[in-house]
Amino acid sequence: MVSSFIYGLCAATSAVCAGMLLAAYRLERYRLLLWSGLCFVGLTVNNVILLLDKIVLPDVDLSALRLFVALIAMTVLLYGLIWDTES
Amino acid sequence: MMNNLSAVLSGAVAMASFATTLFFVKFWRQTSDVFFLLFALAFAIDTVSRAALGLTETSNELEPVFYLLRLAMFALIIIAITLKNRLR
Repeated sequence: MVSSFIYGLCAATSAVCAGMLLAAYRLERYRLLLWSGLCFVGLTVNNVILLLDKIVLPDVDLSALRLFVALIAMTVLLYGLIWDTES
Repeated sequence: MMNNLSAVLSGAVAMASFATTLFFVKFWRQTSDVFFLLFALAFAIDTVSRAALGLTETSNELEPVFYLLRLAMFALIIIAITLKNRLR
């Protein structure tokens, strides 16, 4: 019960982060905000799959899938940090 | 039980998160902007929580506690953006 609350809260807060970062990017056009926003979209998907994995489908192991999504999300942000920020 | 693929992915995500932390620390040192410091702190927390999750065999009862760290990470990001917006 407590666990589904924590997992749900993780998914909700990460979605808020993604929304705020992408909204800030729309206003300011600062590219780092775009990469951060996309990263948090991925982390939100990661947390939603976590919720599915632990609560909805406890018998199915989705750990590889959700970690793969998290890795893609972090790679997107790292790409932006390395290629798209001035010095 | 963590299989080999999950263990590799888990370590890779922790490493990516650590590298991201270093970038934001660098930006913070260049600009003295607290926004970057909060981002650095958030990704440092993510690095620790992912490494801790990857290294431990947690029970189903204990595991959600690790995700409180992840929750703190997202809260820090929300605080960082809110502060930045209020300052403007």
